[in-house]
Amino acid sequence: MTPDSLQPDPTADAAPLDEQLVAYLDGELDADTARRIETLAADDPRLRERLGELGRAWELLDQLDRPETAGAFTETTLELVAVQAEEEARQREAQLPRLRRRRLAMAAGGLLACVAVGFLGGSLLRGDPNRALLDDLPVIENVDEYLQVLGEDDRVEPSLDFLRRLDQEGVFGDESQPGEGKNAS
Amino acid sequence: MLQVRDDSAAAFEELVLRYQDRLVALLTHLSGSRDQAEDLAQEVFLRVYRARKSYVPGAKFSTWLFTIANNAASNALRTLARRHEVRPEARTGDSTVVNPMDHLAQASSSQMPVRRLAKAETREIVRLAVESLGERQRMAVLLSKFEGMCYAEIAEVMELSPQAIKSLLARARGNLREVLAPYMERGEAPVVGKNENGE
Repeated sequence: MTPDSLQPDPTADAAPLDEQLVAYLDGELDADTARRIETLAADDPRLRERLGELGRAWELLDQLDRPETAGAFTETTLELVAVQAEEEARQREAQLPRLRRRRLAMAAGGLLACVAVGFLGGSLLRGDPNRALLDDLPVIENVDEYLQVLGEDDRVEPSLDFLRRLDQEGVFGDESQPGEGKNAS
Repeated sequence: MLQVRDDSAAAFEELVLRYQDRLVALLTHLSGSRDQAEDLAQEVFLRVYRARKSYVPGAKFSTWLFTIANNAASNALRTLARRHEVRPEARTGDSTVVNPMDHLAQASSSQMPVRRLAKAETREIVRLAVESLGERQRMAVLLSKFEGMCYAEIAEVMELSPQAIKSLLARARGNLREVLAPYMERGEAPVVGKNENGE
């Protein structure tokens, strides 16, 4: 409702009018609207009367008791809160071992995961040690025969050159390609 | 309140001392019973303590406190009303529980001579007039009158819009004016009808 629509007759459309009058008494209207209410009230004795009645009824509420609390109230309130605080502390304490166990389990799990990742990563970087043995398998299987054809000096210390020569002659067959088995010595 | 949030017992005691009278006064007029008001006030302080970690700095503490009080009082009054619905005979013969409407009607009946009322009786008339308001109107009136809250603050406490508070207060003050008019005009005990806008 705008101030322009305020009715001079307080009985007409009384509820919205009362809203404006009460808001005026409560200081909740903007300056323009408050001035309009004052102008209307100055011209209309019924409006003035209604404003006066609303104001006086409001002032009568000052007669209401304002009961004060005694010291016992403060004491019992603080005791209640202390009991609540103790309860909270007990609950926190009860949750502590569970929380600790959960944290330990999580730490152990994390550690295992780190070890697994490290092992896998290391294996990939290092390569498979059995791979070299597999490569040299044809030589290892026939090492006694090779030693028989070596001279005394070579038997003491078989030379890599001699093995390479054998390899070039195709003694080792197709399983071992030239250039492979370099670690055969 | 920030110190309370950080578990300072001394700060909480200070807070109780600072607000207990205001809270109990408001809840007494809201519930109509001093004992119930004290129980409710303690419940409110307990809720404040439990919710201390969720307090946001910057929010006006009194607004926060009275919001909690409003919720606690609404729940309690609703429970009480439900009990009375279930056991209407509970009131029968209970001289300490007085229906304000009945009391005012009796005061204005022909059995009670029209007379000037003493100050204590004036207080009683005003108290009963306030009690004749509905719960929401009463809360808005008490926050406005005794806590000096503006419409926006009352709206926050009661979780309504400022416009709704404006209407609520207008109806409440209109009802008060109507109930208290006989006393204001002629010093007579008020004639009270059923408050249709009691909410």
